[in-house]
Amino acid sequence: MAFKRKETVIEATDLATITAEEAEKRIIAGVRKYATQEANWSRADANTPFLGHIIGMGIESSNLADITMSIERQFLTRRTRRVPVSPDGSEVRLDEGELGKLRILDGQDALAATPGLAVKMLMDLGHMAPDPAYLGKVVSFAYISVIGEGWKLNEALRKAMGRLEKLSGPEREEALANLRALTAQAKSYEALIADAAALAGQRRKSYEEEKAAHEALESELSMATAKLAGAAGGNDSARIASLRSEEAEIRTRLKMSAAKLRVSAEIASQAGNRSAAEAAKVAEIRGLLQETVRLAESC
Amino acid sequence: MLTETELRRLRRQEFWSHLLAYPTYAFIVLLARLKFRYRFQDLRRSREEVWSKLETHDGPVLWAANHLTMIDSFLLFWAVVPWRRVAGSRWLPWSTPEFRNYHRTGGWLKGPALRTLMYLCRAIPFLREGDDAVATRWRDAAFQKCVRILREGGSVFVYPEAGRSRSGWLDPNRPKDFLGRLALAAPGAKFLCLYFRGEHQAFATVAPRRREVFRLYADVVEAVEPGETTPRSVSERLFQVLGRLQERWFAGSALPKNCGGNDVVDLASPLHRERIDPETGEADPEWLERHLTEKERAYLEGQPPALRYAVFWKLFAAKEAAHKALAQGGVSTPIGAFPMLEVDLFRRKVVHRPTCTEVQVAFTDDDGEKVHCVAVLRGGSVGDEGTPGDVIWRVEKVPDGEAPGEFARGMLLDLIAESADDIPSPAVLALTEVDGIPRVLRGGRVRDWGVSLSHSGRFAACSFMIS
Repeated sequence: MAFKRKETVIEATDLATITAEEAEKRIIAGVRKYATQEANWSRADANTPFLGHIIGMGIESSNLADITMSIERQFLTRRTRRVPVSPDGSEVRLDEGELGKLRILDGQDALAATPGLAVKMLMDLGHMAPDPAYLGKVVSFAYISVIGEGWKLNEALRKAMGRLEKLSGPEREEALANLRALTAQAKSYEALIADAAALAGQRRKSYEEEKAAHEALESELSMATAKLAGAAGGNDSARIASLRSEEAEIRTRLKMSAAKLRVSAEIASQAGNRSAAEAAKVAEIRGLLQETVRLAESC
Repeated sequence: MLTETELRRLRRQEFWSHLLAYPTYAFIVLLARLKFRYRFQDLRRSREEVWSKLETHDGPVLWAANHLTMIDSFLLFWAVVPWRRVAGSRWLPWSTPEFRNYHRTGGWLKGPALRTLMYLCRAIPFLREGDDAVATRWRDAAFQKCVRILREGGSVFVYPEAGRSRSGWLDPNRPKDFLGRLALAAPGAKFLCLYFRGEHQAFATVAPRRREVFRLYADVVEAVEPGETTPRSVSERLFQVLGRLQERWFAGSALPKNCGGNDVVDLASPLHRERIDPETGEADPEWLERHLTEKERAYLEGQPPALRYAVFWKLFAAKEAAHKALAQGGVSTPIGAFPMLEVDLFRRKVVHRPTCTEVQVAFTDDDGEKVHCVAVLRGGSVGDEGTPGDVIWRVEKVPDGEAPGEFARGMLLDLIAESADDIPSPAVLALTEVDGIPRVLRGGRVRDWGVSLSHSGRFAACSFMIS
């Protein structure tokens, strides 16, 4: 007997017949049961992260796949025809075909951290028509991370201040040293996010790290290929079979590494192009950090 | 015993490698410096450290180094041997690379060129795989050649870990016997212990990245101390020496040393039972595919139905814990990319598939109510049934009305303060995040304590490691 999902039956909607705002609302409603931070969920908008408790909906990592599957369950699309793109057919692309169930392929949801980014993903993959007006208000993945980090830092600073009030003597001195360090971290973070170019430079560094790892893997592949070329001249069929499987394994790893690299590349490029919506979010978190830093410095 | 032919070949290789030592050395150094732009930090200090101790020793030398890339031997040759010492044949080390890694690699030009270079670099081909008579004879002959070279006062280079470290960490508590055997067979030898690594080398790769900057630490110790009669006792001491050099290396590095993670799963959470049935083990195949690799799905399928639910969440907790340990070590995994990590519950390890980096895992709580997993990439050991590891953890129920994340953070600071005599109270600690990774502050300094936090349903958990 096939496993029967214990969930409410939802009538799926053709993505071509609804607006981006409607899709966003449905996505938010679909993840309600996984949201442990009810207050944030109830006022969620396009830019509310699914994960995290301070500004996010509080969805746990064990329900991450459920977010994507909830989106798949609610919508229909015409991009249903599977077209193989790799010689062994393991990789496919979805082309126009009959109206059917939405399928989000492996890795396609890597940046869908908010309802707005999930809608953007559907547009990018051709399941919905692009809506520039809607996309204009969606904060990119890069800035969702930046803003999330800012909130966490602000929270850490507030907690350190709260603890300080109850202490005296050497304990207070130590706690004060921690507060000073946190203040310095908050100030440098605030300065970093104020400058889009500096932020992009920092994200670019992470991308370069990923790229170096990817290149290392490419050299591993070329070594395996060279070994295979050398072995092809001999008659050791077991050795050739083992090298072929080694080569196939490296190709799989390379594919995964490329997926990782795409995420880093996207983040690096998004960090440098700050939209009005992102600028407003950055201004909000900067204001908050400045205020908390001011209070911390007066301790 | 070596045959006459084998001995003759060994002599011939020694003759040619000595005769062409300068061009070979120049080729290696020029390639490393000009093509790959590699550089050693403080090379003069490293060489002085080595030669001040080696110069007074006129017996054989066993080089023992950590192993992270396939060109480590060339780089160490460049780092240890200065130009003026290349002429001294006995200082030029022989090594035992895996024959299959280079002997038939490449086409008509690259293949012979690589073989010639390896020949001139004094490679004694070694066959690590196979238990048949030919493979055993091959290994024995290689061992005998090494012994002979050492007894004649020469140098042999061996990687005591027997291969590239897949975690990027030399575990001092897991000695291998080969080097001990060699040392016992060559009286009067000394170990030249070397720990070297590029500043960006987070995990094992084929070659270091371009423009990499390396740091090398070395020590020269007796190969066999009085009272050491077994290969294991020799190797145990050697691994401890290498472990100390590794500590020195990390003390001067921007790479964090202690990289650990944890994860707890509440097995009674209704949300965890949605797509997998706790009684029958039946699961939504699409959902499984989003979490597990093909191998893991086959493993799960092979479990008795009543155990599948718990096994699935063990696999999940291991992935999450490993993901946190890897992130601390600079190895990232995109959010939700669960199949990029592959768990082997039998061998208690998780492999980060894009990089092949391995993380050791252990389950501290597995009682039907919850599963809690701790993971260690580097900095210490995760421990096993007989040996306690270096990770300290706690799992507790979240009191009603408390935010689980908040509770986990408080619990972590309490646990650290309780575990260390010099920390008077948790009030002197603070938590922050650096690049999305939780870090503890004490005295205004970010500490390398490999902290990790987790919560799920009714439970919160935390872990840390100081080694």
